[in-house]
Amino acid sequence: MPETFDSPRSSGPRFDTVLIANRGEIAARIQKACRELGLKTVVVYSEADREAPYGKTADSALCIGPSSAAKSYLNRDALLLAARLTGAGAIHPGYGFLSENAAFADAVEKAGLTFIGPSAASIETMGDKIAAKRAMIAAGVPCVPGPDTALADDPAAAERVALEIGYPVIVKAAGGGGGRGMRVVPDAGQLHEAVALTREEARKAFGSPSLYMEKFLGHPRHIEIQVLCDTHGNAVWLGHRDCSMQRRHQKVVEEAPAPGIPPDVIRPVGQACVEACRQIGYRGVGTFEFLYEDGAFYFIEMNTRLQVEHPVTEMTSGLDIVQAQIRAAQGDPLDLLQGDVKCDGHAFECRINAEDPDTFLPSAGVITDVALPEGPGIRVDTHIHAGYKVPPYYDSLIAKLIVHAPTRAEAMARMREALAGTRVEGISTNIPFLRALFEDSAFARGETDIHYLEQWLKQRSAP
Amino acid sequence: MSAIDFSDPSTIALLADALTAAGVSGLEISRPGGQLRIVVAAGEETRIDVSVTARPDSRGVSPVVVRAPMAGHFCPGHLSGSAVSDSLPRPVSGSEVLGFVRIGPVLLPLNAGRPAVLTKRLAEPDALVGFGDPLFEIEPQS
Repeated sequence: MPETFDSPRSSGPRFDTVLIANRGEIAARIQKACRELGLKTVVVYSEADREAPYGKTADSALCIGPSSAAKSYLNRDALLLAARLTGAGAIHPGYGFLSENAAFADAVEKAGLTFIGPSAASIETMGDKIAAKRAMIAAGVPCVPGPDTALADDPAAAERVALEIGYPVIVKAAGGGGGRGMRVVPDAGQLHEAVALTREEARKAFGSPSLYMEKFLGHPRHIEIQVLCDTHGNAVWLGHRDCSMQRRHQKVVEEAPAPGIPPDVIRPVGQACVEACRQIGYRGVGTFEFLYEDGAFYFIEMNTRLQVEHPVTEMTSGLDIVQAQIRAAQGDPLDLLQGDVKCDGHAFECRINAEDPDTFLPSAGVITDVALPEGPGIRVDTHIHAGYKVPPYYDSLIAKLIVHAPTRAEAMARMREALAGTRVEGISTNIPFLRALFEDSAFARGETDIHYLEQWLKQRSAP
Repeated sequence: MSAIDFSDPSTIALLADALTAAGVSGLEISRPGGQLRIVVAAGEETRIDVSVTARPDSRGVSPVVVRAPMAGHFCPGHLSGSAVSDSLPRPVSGSEVLGFVRIGPVLLPLNAGRPAVLTKRLAEPDALVGFGDPLFEIEPQS
């Protein structure tokens, strides 16, 4: 398909009011994007978030349930009812909660509203890791060695697959994700027990015992490619990110672009991602996640939603990804070609969490004072303020500190400066840990894989 | 509902001791009538925040707020057109319908749940109300 975009403005599903089905910094971020597009916003909140500042700046705000996420932000009926009561024409799910729930996306569309995200079918395909891998292989996206079919119950068949791939292998739940439902198998002697345990875990945690097997990569980096698609078959990739700094499979620091990857190596991967989007009729924003080892990319999964770390790509591309996502949901054709996409400078994002910097235990409570950095190349996405009460019921992310500079070294220096100027009193945060991380020499050299942070933490805690 | 007085120092002391003994670092209790938060920090003073929103009046009666059980539009009184007394305060029975939350064609009745005196209406007619929003204030009668 030629890389052109449709010139006439679409008569797609127009809406003037967006219900934000999320909380915290991303609710504030989506509200900002809507306001800049001239759209009204409806903020829904749980009882615990009754005093959240973005509720006060919304056109409408409605409490939809008690503090428990299951009874509020994950309550599909309450969200749809809130949309109906407030006259919202679209629902933005943000990230987490119901953002990758195909049944919710379907229910939103069936209620005559626009789901600001891909179709339920796309979410469903990408939520099943085996189906996703099959779709990626068909589109020419490089995948981890291993079959694109579910692992048979027959132990002998599992042995054959493992031998064909070559040990070590990893057994994963087809419905898993976020680091859950997977087991590394170093040799044949541990295969059967690993399969049995993972299958049982998958059955209990994800409702399906379906497993698949892949080659286990020993020292990969986590690289992502951001895509943006409209409903007219136009798609672009907006560059790449490195999210290797992880603790317990949770990203801590992200950066764009991923350091040290030659453009001629990443370009065909980005183009394959765009092709995959066209083949599955994907719409909106999405992220292809890869493991990168020894100069090769291996697809692991696609996130069919806005990512927490989207700001680093916004800083290097100069695009507002949330606005672009909303415009795509309005039915507007993309207003840029692949050749228009640039990557300027380098950006880092630190996730500031309300947690103990040593034990990482959550730290809820009242923030008594806040100082956030300002200046050229510094951005803070947050909803907190002095007097804000961090509730204990949800994710501990309270702010994202993002910096941008001409080079990676300058961006690191800017982040060090920004972290030094960041202060949150009254609760514990991971700021001291982030400050220490940005002094690390291996991180500064860009030589860290997905296991690095865990090892670094172990060394720090060693007597 | 039991009548714990959050502002009673002996209650707070009892709870703080129980937390310390159990090795629990904090406790938070929220009720329509008030909130109690105790944080037991090792090596520091125990921090206690108490806020009581419903205090007994001079007659010893604590007002109680009737809240919206879910989001919808608030409809005070009956929709049947029967006369509704707007004069407050007035006595109400436990089963008397004080108003409704309207969700599309569905009317969710609201009642005091006990004999009481209806003292205040806290939301405007046809206002959009969310879960837990205050709608009426009543004074339960023994």
